[in-house]
Amino acid sequence: MIVFSSVSLIYPNSTKTIIENLSFTVAEGELVLVMGATGAGKSSLLRLINGLVPHHTGGILAGDISVNGISTRKMKPGGLAHLIGIVGQNPLNGFVCDRVEEELAFGMEALNLPSDVMRKRVEEVLDLLSLAHLRNRTIATLSGGEQQRVAIGTALVMHPKVLVLDEPTSALDPVAAEEVLSIIHRLVHDLGLTVVISEHKLERVIQFADRIIHMKSDGYTEIGLPHEILKNSEIAPPLIHLARALDLSEMSLSVRDMRRETESIRRNLDATPRKNSSNLLTSETPELINVDTIALRHGNTIALKNVSLSVCQGEIVAIMGRNGAGKSSLLRSIAGILHPTHGRISVMGGDPSKLRGQARIKTIGFIPQEPSDLLFGQSVQAECEAADRDNGISLGLTFNLLSSLVPGIARSTHPRDLSEGQRLALALSVVLSSSPQILVLDEPTRGLDYSAKSSLITTLKILAAARCAVIIATHDVELVAEVATRVVFIAEGEIVADGPTVEVLLSSPAFAPQVAKIMAPAPWLTVKDVVDVLNRAR
Amino acid sequence: MTRSLHPLAWWIWAGSLAIAIARASSVLLAVVVVGVVAVVVAQKSENAPWAKSFAWALKIGIWVIAIRTITGMLIGTPIPGRTIFSLPIIPLPSWMAGIRIGGPVTLERLSLTFHEGILLACIIAVLGAAASLSSPHRLLRALPVMVYEFGVAVVIATSVLPELVVSFYRIREAQRLRGQNLRGIKSWKRIAMPLLEDSLSRSLELASAMDSRGYGFSRKRSRYRPEKWQISEYLICLIAITAIFVPIAAILAPLAALFIAPVQRESVTR
Repeated sequence: MIVFSSVSLIYPNSTKTIIENLSFTVAEGELVLVMGATGAGKSSLLRLINGLVPHHTGGILAGDISVNGISTRKMKPGGLAHLIGIVGQNPLNGFVCDRVEEELAFGMEALNLPSDVMRKRVEEVLDLLSLAHLRNRTIATLSGGEQQRVAIGTALVMHPKVLVLDEPTSALDPVAAEEVLSIIHRLVHDLGLTVVISEHKLERVIQFADRIIHMKSDGYTEIGLPHEILKNSEIAPPLIHLARALDLSEMSLSVRDMRRETESIRRNLDATPRKNSSNLLTSETPELINVDTIALRHGNTIALKNVSLSVCQGEIVAIMGRNGAGKSSLLRSIAGILHPTHGRISVMGGDPSKLRGQARIKTIGFIPQEPSDLLFGQSVQAECEAADRDNGISLGLTFNLLSSLVPGIARSTHPRDLSEGQRLALALSVVLSSSPQILVLDEPTRGLDYSAKSSLITTLKILAAARCAVIIATHDVELVAEVATRVVFIAEGEIVADGPTVEVLLSSPAFAPQVAKIMAPAPWLTVKDVVDVLNRAR
Repeated sequence: MTRSLHPLAWWIWAGSLAIAIARASSVLLAVVVVGVVAVVVAQKSENAPWAKSFAWALKIGIWVIAIRTITGMLIGTPIPGRTIFSLPIIPLPSWMAGIRIGGPVTLERLSLTFHEGILLACIIAVLGAAASLSSPHRLLRALPVMVYEFGVAVVIATSVLPELVVSFYRIREAQRLRGQNLRGIKSWKRIAMPLLEDSLSRSLELASAMDSRGYGFSRKRSRYRPEKWQISEYLICLIAITAIFVPIAAILAPLAALFIAPVQRESVTR
């Protein structure tokens, strides 16, 4: 269906080869996963399929790509619209109309399809993606998972043979992600659709993939069956890391198979909960944040009600919950941007909304959902120096901090040209250069690969060890399992669970990390937990 | 699901009412018409961003009354009558005879400008009601294909603008959290850079999405579920146009709309 024959790609004004001499064929009805570190060229590869690269972006393309026998050299993306559906990372940026039904019809109108055909196809897709009850809704009011489904719908109404998805679940909570992925899985099996998908959170998609294209940062690309690729790859979901740690001969890709494989190990292991003495808080630990029964309203909607929370020194608190549950509202109230309609928040004994200038940056560091909002410099160097001046520290300290977080960033790089993980590190070092007592992060793991995530984890652990308090809102269960000492679960603006990570994560199957699902009922969340127990048993 | 009135019908309805208000030139009639129109808006408008247009139109109307009254007092031809108070006269060259700035303000002059202000505000309110009752996007969809291409550009521009405002607030908030007291030109640079980059990358993303969905590939364009023009549309337009000639019908037209127009599609709020 898709044939790449010795394709190489270089962008203009760049010396780095994005793709070098890549050849592969994707058969009809295959689901191919594209994985690789950020900046390895995954998006470029996906956009090559329908010709957005290089027709839309410029660049030098060698070799040939053909889809269903049509070469993308000769055909512009618009001419392939009936053949290839492409869904971008952030679907909201690609919507044209305001209502779901009209959005679905937009592409067909552009291709001048007769009105009765359009009507039929829209109804089909509404049913296929269970969107029928949303047909008249304004798209902006939909939840993230619903928007992603609409975006997939806009591609499917064209009756494409190929569906290309660029990180379809990166912004979604675990439940919504599962919903979207199971729909994709069904499309492949029921309609014989060919799907090419890129994703960082491998644990979510790996079980559905027929083959994997692994893009390495040096331009070299590996293609093969999932267990072959994952056997030696550095990028791997927790499940594979567990299999390696346990020295299993078979590479299982689903929790079910893995449970079968590990049956004997599980039976022999001591399942008593570990004592995490380091995380135990005594009554002497000073409290940094105290949220006292606050309520918050945005117009007619209640964002938070009756929320009480206390965060002490050295804690890493993860705030979890569905898209739109009120996570951001809580974080922004703590940071003093939003003012609660009832109740009181005190941060280190004061009102956070009264903090200004120096006092603010010495108290709370805040990383917004888009870390680039904080950045305005024309180069990494300029950015770091601005932070040095803001904080009144000697020049170069912020850059040193950045180098210790992520080594090897050139000083002259423009912040926009950094990879997602590097940009987060830059924003982090800018914020941390003032050494705040409290660090608040609002969904920092969007678009982060495993290596960027592990350096984030190290940073947060160092901060917590230095008696700072960290609050992090995230959808990433694996990150929470690795780093959080406590989890607060929010639903409909209320705290529904607040307790140690192990307890909260294990109490709901949707939010349990992969290792926990495999090792259930034993209370282990990460590969390290299991390895520790194994070592003790030996 | 019930269908809603054709967007053009709402605009003809509002346009006719506006003409009727202007022709009848009666404050009482105008205020009553706006009152009944307000009921129609409350009953029939969708739960959507554009539904706020009526409220905005009312606010603009109040400003219009204020500005019209003030300028009416200051500038204009003298109207004889009972003087309330006097303003100093600014001398003007002789060729501008007939126009005067300042001078005595009479009760007659004040009531005339006030009267005009209210009429103008009511006309704005009625047109705002039409904007409230029909989505601008639906109106564009109802336009002929020739205008449609231009319409799509307008739709995109109108959807980009609110997003720009949202990004602006988001970035300003982030910069404030970086300890910036955002005042002066220097701080503007800190917002302008991320804002520009943000909106530019967003537009590029939208363009590539539209491109890959086949926009502009086919010369002709078909239309999905075109808006229908039925008997209720005829009825409402007929009564509204009658109102131009028979002022009292201006009150009947919105009342009729209340009964004839189907309840708009309910949009569920979360």
